[in-house]
Amino acid sequence: MSTSITINGKKHDVDVEGDMPLLWLLRDNLEFTGTKYGCGAGLCGACTVHVDGVATRSCITPVASLAGKSITTIEGLSENGDHPLQKAWLNNNVPQCGYCQAGQIMNAASLLATNASPSSDEIDNAMQGNICRCGTYQRIKKAISDAADELATEVS
Amino acid sequence: MTTNNKIEGLSRRNFLKTAGIATGGLVIGITIPTQTMAHGKKVEQAPFNPNAFIHVQENGDTLIYCGRCEMGQGISTALPAAVADEMEADWARVTVKQADGDEKYGPQATGGSASIRRMFIPMREAGAAAKFMLIAAAAKVWKIPAEQCTAQNHFVINSNNQQKISFGELASLAANITPPEKPTLKNKSQYNYIGKALPRHNQGDIVEGKLTYGVDTKIPNLKYAAIVHCPVLGGKLKFVDKTAALAMKGVSSVVEIPRFDVPYGSIGGVAVVADNNWTAQQALKKLKVEWDLGVNNSYDTQAYKAQLVKNVENPAQVATERGDLKTAFANAKQKHSATYTGGHLSHSPMEPNASVVYVEKDKCEVWAATQSPADIQKVLGQYLKREPTDIIVHVTMAGGAFGRKFKCDYVHEAAVISKETGFPIQLTWSREEDMRTGYYHSINAQHIEASLDEQGNVSGWLHRIAFPPIGSLFNPATDRPSKGDVAAADDYPFGLTNYRSEIGEAKAHTRIGWYRAVYAIFYGFSFSSMADELAYKAGKDPLTFLNQLFDANANTEQQEQVTRSKNILAIAAEKSGYHQRASLPKGQGIGLAVHYSFQSYVAMAVRVESEGDNIKVLQVDCVIDCGQVLNKDGATAQMEGAVVMGMSLALSTEVTFKNGAVVNSNFHDYPVMRISDMPQVHVHIVDSDIKPTGLGEPGVAPFAPALANAVFAASGKRYRDIPFKPMSV
Repeated sequence: MSTSITINGKKHDVDVEGDMPLLWLLRDNLEFTGTKYGCGAGLCGACTVHVDGVATRSCITPVASLAGKSITTIEGLSENGDHPLQKAWLNNNVPQCGYCQAGQIMNAASLLATNASPSSDEIDNAMQGNICRCGTYQRIKKAISDAADELATEVS
Repeated sequence: MTTNNKIEGLSRRNFLKTAGIATGGLVIGITIPTQTMAHGKKVEQAPFNPNAFIHVQENGDTLIYCGRCEMGQGISTALPAAVADEMEADWARVTVKQADGDEKYGPQATGGSASIRRMFIPMREAGAAAKFMLIAAAAKVWKIPAEQCTAQNHFVINSNNQQKISFGELASLAANITPPEKPTLKNKSQYNYIGKALPRHNQGDIVEGKLTYGVDTKIPNLKYAAIVHCPVLGGKLKFVDKTAALAMKGVSSVVEIPRFDVPYGSIGGVAVVADNNWTAQQALKKLKVEWDLGVNNSYDTQAYKAQLVKNVENPAQVATERGDLKTAFANAKQKHSATYTGGHLSHSPMEPNASVVYVEKDKCEVWAATQSPADIQKVLGQYLKREPTDIIVHVTMAGGAFGRKFKCDYVHEAAVISKETGFPIQLTWSREEDMRTGYYHSINAQHIEASLDEQGNVSGWLHRIAFPPIGSLFNPATDRPSKGDVAAADDYPFGLTNYRSEIGEAKAHTRIGWYRAVYAIFYGFSFSSMADELAYKAGKDPLTFLNQLFDANANTEQQEQVTRSKNILAIAAEKSGYHQRASLPKGQGIGLAVHYSFQSYVAMAVRVESEGDNIKVLQVDCVIDCGQVLNKDGATAQMEGAVVMGMSLALSTEVTFKNGAVVNSNFHDYPVMRISDMPQVHVHIVDSDIKPTGLGEPGVAPFAPALANAVFAASGKRYRDIPFKPMSV
């Protein structure tokens, strides 16, 4: 099928099978490799992107469902890698291998967009679908709290 | 690629050889990439290349290569920072690059928590040699003795008048200085970066999604492949109907992969080649494949584990005997026995096995997340009938590995597909293939019988062990662990005067491989669990009992192990509130464990809340003694990660086989820990001047026994089978 999808603010005309998941369109056709393949079944969160601002598992989201929608990937989260979450990730030295971190950050960004000051339990609930096999969870939680604090300061 | 003759001339002095990195003939000539992307800028050929690891530009920009493979353990920050420290380079001016597979970087096979142990001194010497040459160059400019110059923060300073010349300005001159035979190293008080908490050099790229992993390489004309393997080890392809797959739009070919009869070789399979991963994966499902499942087609882990238990609960082959166990048991005041078991584990890094290989007529280039580039060169050299050095291996960042990517079957397969099709091939295993075609941590059983004397001290210890060992990969006739495989039990630093170890039969029916911490996982579990059980039997405080077990060790060669183990146990107890545990709320408990592995020491105190089968891990105090620490933040991160991996394997992850094949397929039935399971982890590092040892693995071993001991303290329930709460699959 032929369709037009906006990715990181730029329109892309694409011609692929409609049931192809967004993940593979991003990675193989358009070479946005920041979004990762982890499980192919919506179980690990490594492939998380935003569809109209909402965290979405791109590995189980068919391209056919995205006509006219706006996609944001890790490459488009901020102009200069300075989203409060990206800064908090660096301040807390979160990544180990880093493979899951794009998905973690995109998922957390979607959380903060709807809940500016999440509690510890709310962070757990929102981030429950994102696996980190290196075990950086403690730092992820701290980084999300720090980013929420920074956003609160910006607003006040 | 071009070769700079001047650099070759320098390198022939074999600096690295004198620096102790390698045995003879290491440096044949240094070829430097003409263009290297660093921070998005091109780093052209450098004028100053004192050795394989260091390249200094005229503007001072410095490139440091990391020869060891990076998979998240932080080695590509820790070792290059040590180079920069000795060189007196400004870390902000340094770009780290992962080295291609090449023996000029020393041993690159990355495993056994050995990188820091092996490379700490050689890497520092590489930096110190560069500093020596830069200082000598400046001394020439100023026409003063080198002793009157010092290096600091990317400059050489004239001690007489504080004049400075930058490293960049000195680069060309330094290139003409003869490297020192044995450079002088700094002492601990002079370190700038070693021992500090330096952030990972690549974390900026990670949070922006810019870092390239094994799955990410893109080159022109790339085709994508998906693969299916025979589900049973030793089986082979009987028949494949390719028609439906080949009829799909975007599919270009189906390739049969032969078995590679080499250690860690591909077991063979069938691959589909297409325009993208999705099409390849879909077409793979349309193949009609029939396998001859072979001799392992009845492997069933439930039955096998029951058999292992029988094998260790009955007399087995004696490995080691000390003292007089028979008399000790005859005179026992009390006796206690227990059997500990554990299942297979899958490494399951977040990045499945993936690589890009392009086999051309006169060239073969590989981009792979790998722990062993030299093995790829060797195996593909044999396969293509070329010299290993003709196989170019670019080592990418690995999205986790934990031992799996030491075995590069996925690279062999991509090479076959590329050779057969003529295209550059990216092969990405699906998560399901990754789960089902692994090199699994060994299923295992141990039976311990111990006696206590009148004073409640251990007087005898019988330790029976059975697990299919890694040696079965190399010798299929292997039917039980070797004496070397049980050495960690025989040499355990408890004072076990009257002791016997026995080895039970355990033939492998799947591929067994190194999994983060390896055998330390089950030895740590059995020793620290049994010590805790015996403490209760003797009516003693577990910490006191552990200390007495160590104190009973009269072996003079093990006194360092005794002292360091006891020290970290004491710290873990103190930091965790172990001594105040009587005041914990009902249903809470603290358990202790300590384990020495890979020449490092880790103790853990785990605090849990437990009722019935519910286990909530609240806090972990982890104490490490690994000698000098290179990077405090990296060390801390390794322990936090070890706790999470330890928790996954202690509580829930197990690979199950039925009818010879793995039953698990993805993260729904291989449930690794998630963020809500995360306890508070506090890492305490012993300040030490002892030579540094690694931390990639040692943190995993003590978690499960500390947890088991904590649950017992909390609820009185004793878990002896790992995982405690397996998922039914």
